[in-house]
Amino acid sequence: MSAAPQGPRDRAGAAVIPEGSAAGDLAAVLAIARKDLLQEARSRAVTVATLFFSAVTLVMMAFAMGQDAELLRRSAPGVLWVALAFAGVITAAQSFQSDLEEGAFDQLLLYPVPRASVFLGKLLANWLYLAVLGLIMTPVTLVLYGARAGSDLWLLPVTLALGTFGFAVVATFYAALTANLQAREALLPVLMFPVVVPVLLGAVRSTEALVGLQNATLAGGWLQLLAGFDLVYFVTCTAIFHLVVEE
Amino acid sequence: MTQRHETPRRPLWLRLLGLSTVVLFAVGAYLALVVSPPDVNQGQLIRMMYAHVSVAWVCFVAVIVTALYGMAFLWRGRPVDDTRAVANAEIATFFAGLTLISGMTYSRPTLNTWWTWDAKLTLTALMFALLVGYFVVRGLIDDPTRRGRVSAVIGIVVAVSLPFNYLAAAWFRTLHPTLSVAVTGIHIAPTMLFVLLFNVGVAALVYLTFVSERIRIGKLEHERDEERERREEGAPGEVVRV
Repeated sequence: MSAAPQGPRDRAGAAVIPEGSAAGDLAAVLAIARKDLLQEARSRAVTVATLFFSAVTLVMMAFAMGQDAELLRRSAPGVLWVALAFAGVITAAQSFQSDLEEGAFDQLLLYPVPRASVFLGKLLANWLYLAVLGLIMTPVTLVLYGARAGSDLWLLPVTLALGTFGFAVVATFYAALTANLQAREALLPVLMFPVVVPVLLGAVRSTEALVGLQNATLAGGWLQLLAGFDLVYFVTCTAIFHLVVEE
Repeated sequence: MTQRHETPRRPLWLRLLGLSTVVLFAVGAYLALVVSPPDVNQGQLIRMMYAHVSVAWVCFVAVIVTALYGMAFLWRGRPVDDTRAVANAEIATFFAGLTLISGMTYSRPTLNTWWTWDAKLTLTALMFALLVGYFVVRGLIDDPTRRGRVSAVIGIVVAVSLPFNYLAAAWFRTLHPTLSVAVTGIHIAPTMLFVLLFNVGVAALVYLTFVSERIRIGKLEHERDEERERREEGAPGEVVRV
């Protein structure tokens, strides 16, 4: 039962959503993002999984590559972004899974807001989560792999923001698409990774440049590619999201 | 109780198209293998280029057409558009596989490696992976409308990913020979250009023939499914539209 709340605030304390206006749609986006993040803050299921998963990936990759300090130093950005890509899959899949298990997703779709708001809300939550994870993982990777920070370090948060946004857009979109299918755990990375290859490439090259493994001027071009990818996929996925959710 | 169904015959135009494809394919092969002179640098190996470039071009056309029919399906919701999109996606997957195989065999003697992380090769490999994903997802959805919608969406995403994958791979590193037919000035012998364009035309004909045949089969499959659904519902006169 999703009766429209009467007062300015509903029982859960979330802002009331006026129907049909741009401000109302934005409020819906924020409410859904807030709901997802709140749920995560209380259960911490994904946090534990992704944080340890990323850490284990870092350690395993370092073991697999051996003792060569120079090799480790050079591969740090690549390992970091591969770990973040895997974490992105887990985060996005879980954000739909926890809703579907409790039947909450059907209720979410009953709200009189555009379907795109549901996508944008989930995207916002997933992106914020991944970006924070990236902020935690970056120094850990740099220390573990013996890479030193370069001079243009202020651009690193920009790379993290753009790169994780690209991951989050594609992962959230495909997670919605595969949410009701069999073998979704295996299917999501199969569908998502070929699409996010430009993001992976751009983010890794840009990070390499920023931590002094490459000419720093190269980072600008890769950041432009990331921004372009983010924009195009953001618009495309938002526009066609309503077609992939199951009624 | 088995009911005998008469399989509808192939329409005349399709049989003629198939026949002319076979004839022109033979002509194209003759042109590429006998008429074309050996290349200054690559010698006889240039003959592989005709096959490789032709299938590669057709593969990209088929991917774009898949996305376009996907959009048409989303727009009008007619099952026939989904059938057309799938036909194109199947041809695209097949030609992407051919492009990869021919590209690898071609680059082994000319570039001295089976695989380079070059823009076009990487792009084709990624596209192949995306197209395989298209069919994996299709196989998991039973409801025809939802299946059509979801595959249309994936088809669109595949088409949108092409320029980005190309840009990223091109900046990454490139070893691939530049376009044989450049926009500014053609640096290829006239005979060879003719042979190349002829073979591209033949590949396009092969594509048209297979797509037409696949669409014909797809429509028959669709009719059969509808008929079966009617029979299961026990209402012989009722037409079930999906």
